Amino acid sequence: MTTNHTRRGFLKQGSGAIGGFALTVVAGGAMAQGKTKVRFSGYVESEEQLGTTLKVLEAYMAKNPNVEIIPEFSNFRSFTDKLATEAAGGNAPDMFSVNVDLLAEYAARGVLEPLTNWIPDPLDVSSYQAGSIFACTYNDQLYAIPNDAIAPAILYSPKKFEELGVAVPPEMFTWEELHETAVSLSRAHGRGFWGMEDGGGNYVPCDIFLRAKGSSMFTPEHTLGFSAEDMATWFQYWADMREAGGCPPADVAAQAGDNSASLGIVRGRSAMLIQMTDSYVGIGALMEDPLDLHMLPNGHAGGEMKNHIYDYAGNSTGIWSKAADKDLCVDIIRFMHFDPDGVDLYYEGSGMIPASTAGLDKFGAQGNREEKKLVAYLAKLREDPAPSRRPGVGGLGGMFRRANQAVAFGDATPLAAAEAFIAEAEEKLLALKS
Amino acid sequence: MSITPNLSKKQNAVAFLFLSPWILGFVFLTLGPLMGSLYLSFTDYDLFTAPEWAGTKNYAKLLGGDPRYIQSLKVTFGYVLFSVPLKLGFALFIALILNRGLRGLGIYRSVFYLPSLLGGSVAVAIMWRQIFSYDGIINHFLWNYLGYDAPSWITNPDYALGTLVLLAAWQFGAPMVIFLAGLKQIPQDMYDAAAIDGARPVQQFFYVTIPLLTPIIFFNFVMQTIGAFQAFTPSYIISDGSGGPADSTLFYTLYLYEQAFTDFQMGYASAIAWVLVAIIAAATSISFLSAKYWVHYGDEN
Repeated sequence: MTTNHTRRGFLKQGSGAIGGFALTVVAGGAMAQGKTKVRFSGYVESEEQLGTTLKVLEAYMAKNPNVEIIPEFSNFRSFTDKLATEAAGGNAPDMFSVNVDLLAEYAARGVLEPLTNWIPDPLDVSSYQAGSIFACTYNDQLYAIPNDAIAPAILYSPKKFEELGVAVPPEMFTWEELHETAVSLSRAHGRGFWGMEDGGGNYVPCDIFLRAKGSSMFTPEHTLGFSAEDMATWFQYWADMREAGGCPPADVAAQAGDNSASLGIVRGRSAMLIQMTDSYVGIGALMEDPLDLHMLPNGHAGGEMKNHIYDYAGNSTGIWSKAADKDLCVDIIRFMHFDPDGVDLYYEGSGMIPASTAGLDKFGAQGNREEKKLVAYLAKLREDPAPSRRPGVGGLGGMFRRANQAVAFGDATPLAAAEAFIAEAEEKLLALKS
Repeated sequence: MSITPNLSKKQNAVAFLFLSPWILGFVFLTLGPLMGSLYLSFTDYDLFTAPEWAGTKNYAKLLGGDPRYIQSLKVTFGYVLFSVPLKLGFALFIALILNRGLRGLGIYRSVFYLPSLLGGSVAVAIMWRQIFSYDGIINHFLWNYLGYDAPSWITNPDYALGTLVLLAAWQFGAPMVIFLAGLKQIPQDMYDAAAIDGARPVQQFFYVTIPLLTPIIFFNFVMQTIGAFQAFTPSYIISDGSGGPADSTLFYTLYLYEQAFTDFQMGYASAIAWVLVAIIAAATSISFLSAKYWVHYGDEN
């Protein structure tokens, strides 16, 4: 059989095919094979956290066969860069992770939907710890639900302390005692090992350090809460630690980067590391020796000893202001954070501890060894709670790390590094308010 | 044979028909974003809210001495200055060896070309990080055999850029293949004549090979220079996207990326991009202007 193809016929058929394809693409954005699709993007701190997150989303889909959740999870840096690009292109995921320092950026610029309409039903946050709620609030409106409660801690290897014959410091101790402990460990070991990792580029312990001196990184009014001289003492503290051999030289410290596998404590180069508690399970899984938690120093020599360590929501979940089905996104959040089945799947074995008091109690009683340790640590902090963590600005981690490295590599004095940091942070705060 | 105007028109139409995929792609996929970024470079644009006209503010900020921008310029020019000659020199050296009529030349050519395909990849950048880290293979050798406690090469500002230059030089495959093709074009008669005149191999290299290879050297030089100015992946992966330590590997494109996607200053980042276009255009123009003094084409008088 032969068929005559005319140009008009070809164009007709071609445009029909293209039109059909276009319709499929458009329809596919929201519904495919009768299913409503929801894009859920975020960052995770460990493989364990990724596993439990995917598990809870699968459970939700099993209970709601008409819903298809498309998970798009990665590490923090890749996620934030990608989210900014997608939001700019009008193609942000329907729901996504929100970092405490980026919440204000997203809320002020209309990327996040306020959750006011869904509180307290179905999102009842009345049992959540105040610091976690504060971290998710901007201009008196809640913009995200806390995923977990985290706090800064010293992760340490008890085995290294034992091997080197150095005593673990008492629970409440000073920054000066931390210096002495780190230096003793380094000396007891010798080449290629340092008592602790350089913590000078981490702004959370700096906040704890400053609070013990009567100032803080940020104020509740979202302004800087310290002077250049205050911050210079922090950079000087780590310069002294480096000089005395308590932490590695600048080039070795810089090697750690964002990758847990390259941390000194994981590679057997150090005994202590200042880190957030949500990394405890992930880092511990990479080590052969057991890992334990210890409080950060809570005062300076000759000063008052008082708990300055707080827990807060480092990571939370929010909804894109242009999401097609916001109620569905809220329901997924409800399942993950408030439904007993969902909570078990989401949190158990993840290294995350729920921010609600009820969740904390539950994991303290039923969790595995690591979870019980985390809960015990957080519970200890809440016995005499410190004022909560105040959100900073986007890119804070990078700015702070650069300032510390400038001092470590001898490119700036502690005061000059502090002044440069203040100038950069103030420019960002100003941009946010304009 | 003369070509009639009608035939010429027909031939042009056919040529444009075949070129149309590229032309359409350029107009609809490249030209739009290009013009868009030019417009954005004159605006305040934070990615989330609509851009606002800001005149030449972004360019004034660049010229006003943004210290990290100046650092990114220093790093990038240093990288271009060292990596391009090193890579071309090494590529030519290997091409000369391979041109000596080795058995299994095809295999060697493929093996040496391989790093060029892999070099820009994330996996190789990570491998580089492992090799040159404090407890990497280089330092294991230096400590165990020479007793030298070496620094972490990749995270020491004095050496970090050097390791990236080495990584670039290791990706010599593409210019090497082009050099090899160029060497094969040089007639054997030239070498025979030079040998009869008493030229030794070194003299043959400088007075026969190099002059006849200058068009190829020029081509490779221009392409590699443009590529070096645009380098991004090695620094992004090796420094965890920070350009560290202490901004010692802050490539121009990395700073641009950071401004756009970490600091949400897309207007400023667009201005940075357009200045890079101007820098590359200037570098290429200078290369072309200088070409008449040192590039020799066979068909020239």
